Amino acid sequence: MSTTGTGTGTGMGMGTEMKMKTEGWEILHIPDNLPFPPAQFPTVDVVASLVQPKLANTLISRLNQIAPLENLRHAKRVRKNFPQGGNTQLSIILCLTLTSDNQLESLPTNVLDLVNAYQLSPFVTKVAKYAASSKEEWQEQCQLWPTSYHPPTYNIDGITGFSEEDSQSVFGFMNMAIKLAKSTSQVVNAAIIVDPSVRQVISSACDQTCSNHSPTGSNNLERDCTENNIASSKCQVVETSESLASSRDYESLSGVSCLYPWTWSECHQHNGNSYSWHPLRHAALVAIEYAAARDRRLFPGSEHAQGQSSPKSSPAKKPKLHTSREEEGKACSNGFNSDIVRPYLCTGFDIFLVWEPCIMCSMALVHQRIRRVFYAFPNLNCGGLGSVHRLQGEKSLNHHYAVFRVMLPEESLRGACRN
Amino acid sequence: MDSTEEAKSLTTIAFMEQAMQQAKFALHSLEVPVGCVIVKDQKVIASGRNRATETRNATRHAEMEAIDFLLEQWQQNGISETEVARNISQCDLYVTCEPCIMCAAALSILGIRSVYFGCANEKFGGCGSVLSLHSAGLEEFPSNDGAQRRGFKCTGGIMASEAICLFQSFYEQGNPNAPKPHRPVQTIR
Repeated sequence: MSTTGTGTGTGMGMGTEMKMKTEGWEILHIPDNLPFPPAQFPTVDVVASLVQPKLANTLISRLNQIAPLENLRHAKRVRKNFPQGGNTQLSIILCLTLTSDNQLESLPTNVLDLVNAYQLSPFVTKVAKYAASSKEEWQEQCQLWPTSYHPPTYNIDGITGFSEEDSQSVFGFMNMAIKLAKSTSQVVNAAIIVDPSVRQVISSACDQTCSNHSPTGSNNLERDCTENNIASSKCQVVETSESLASSRDYESLSGVSCLYPWTWSECHQHNGNSYSWHPLRHAALVAIEYAAARDRRLFPGSEHAQGQSSPKSSPAKKPKLHTSREEEGKACSNGFNSDIVRPYLCTGFDIFLVWEPCIMCSMALVHQRIRRVFYAFPNLNCGGLGSVHRLQGEKSLNHHYAVFRVMLPEESLRGACRN
Repeated sequence: MDSTEEAKSLTTIAFMEQAMQQAKFALHSLEVPVGCVIVKDQKVIASGRNRATETRNATRHAEMEAIDFLLEQWQQNGISETEVARNISQCDLYVTCEPCIMCAAALSILGIRSVYFGCANEKFGGCGSVLSLHSAGLEEFPSNDGAQRRGFKCTGGIMASEAICLFQSFYEQGNPNAPKPHRPVQTIR
C-alpha cells in the first residue's frame, strides 16, 4: 500500500519543492492495543523438541489433533534454525506447559507417547503470549519463537504507511485545522471532516462551548468550507504561536473543550445579553452536525447509496470506488456532481482534529462511521484514542476507525512561516 | 439489580414508564427505540427520544435530545452557567437503555446526579458494560487545573425486559425479511 513508508505506521513528507514545508512532519499510527515496551511483552512457556525434518509433517498433523495451540494461534508450530556450518534444524512446539514446576514430567500422556515413539528430547522454551500489535513488536517476538503477524483486519489506507502524495494531503488538512483552531480569540479545538477520495472538505467546526468561540455565523463557516478545497489552503502556511504547540498552560488552553470538558460552568465570558453556550458543543460534535446537515441538503431523498446495509458493506470495496471518484474530483473540483453517491453517515470520511478527541467525541466519531481520525496533540486529561482511553481497540463496538497522530515539530512550523 | 429498593420504588417505575413512552414514539418513527426523561424535584422537566435516522446524525440519541432541550430552555430563561450546573446536579435521568459511551461521558461532563436505565448495552454501554464512565475513579485521575472528572450514581435493570421487547420489535419491523407474524416475545435475562 505504501511506497515511502519506512516502517509500520510511519510516513514521510519531505518534499522540498512544496509550498508547505513539511520537513519533519510525520504520521504515526496509534494502534488498537497499547504496544508493549521493547523486550517487555509477556511470554508463556511451551514444551518443544528438535525433530528430524522428514518427521515434521507427520508430527505436526498429529500434534494439531492431540495438542492444539489454544489461545496461542499466533505462534508458529515450527521453528527453523540455521546453525553456522550445519544443516537446517527444525523444532516443534509439542504442547503448552501445564504446571510451573516439573513442566517436562507433566506432559499429557498422548504427547508423551509421541515423545517416546519418535525419541524426541523435549525442552521448555518461551513464546510471546499475545499476537503482535505492530511490525516492530512482531520482529521482537520472532527472536524468541516465530509468530505470525496480521496487521489489523480492516483494510484502512495508511496503517502500513502513507505515500508522499497522501502524506501531503494529510499535512495540508491538519494545517487547515490548526489555522481554524487559532481563528478565534481564544485557542480552541477544531475539526475538519474530509472526503479523502476527492480531497474535499465536507464540514468543519470549532468548539462552540462558549459563545465567544464562534467567530462569525457558523452557517457561513459551514458553507465556505463545503465549497472549499484543499488546493486553496495548501499554500497558506500555519503561523504557530509557541503557546499552541508547546504550552500545557491551563490559562492558554482552557478554551479547548476536549481538554477541559468539566470546566464549562466556569466560563463566564458573556457581557452582553445575547450569547449562547453549550457544554457539549465540542468541535467534533459540531462538525458531525454540519456533515449531517450537508447530507440532508445535498440528498433530500431518504435513500442512500447502498440502502440500509451499506454500513456493513466490506471496506475492501472502497478502493475501487476511490479511483474513479478521484479522477472525477480532479476533473470537476469545484463541487458536487449529480452522480456522486450518498454515503451512509460519514462512511469513508476522515476527520482532522488539532487535539485528540475526548471520550465523548471519540464515541461520536464511531457512531457517525468516520474512517480515519488524525490529531496533532495528545489529550492527557481525557483523550479517547490512546492517551486515557483507547476506543479504537474496543472490540465490542460495531465500527472501528484507524487513528493517526500527525507529529509537528515546532522548529519546522516556525520555519515554515517565513517561507 | 431489580431487587434493589430503588428499582422497586414506584416513582422510579413511573418515570421509567414515561421514558418507555418516548422509546415507543421513536419506534413508530422507525428509529432505534430508546427514550428518556430528565427529572428534577420529582417532576419531568425534559424528555427525548432517538432521532438518528431522521437527522442523519448518529449522535442524536435520546439523552442528547433531552439535554439540548433543557439547556436551550434554561438559557432562554437567562439562567447562568453556574446556576445551570447547580440545576443539573439535582437532576436524574431515566433512560430505557444503558447510556452509550458518548452519552455517559456527556452526562459526566454536565454533572448529572444519577442515572436509572433499563437494559444493559453490551456493545456501547458507558455505564458498566464496555466502559465505566459513571464511576469517577478519581484516584487514577490526576485532577489538574479544574479538570475534575465527575461520576454519577447509576442503577440498571429497571423495566429491562420491556426495553428489550421494543428493540426486538424494531429489528423485526426494520428487516423486511423478518417473518411476518411477530415471534412470541421472549424475555432475555
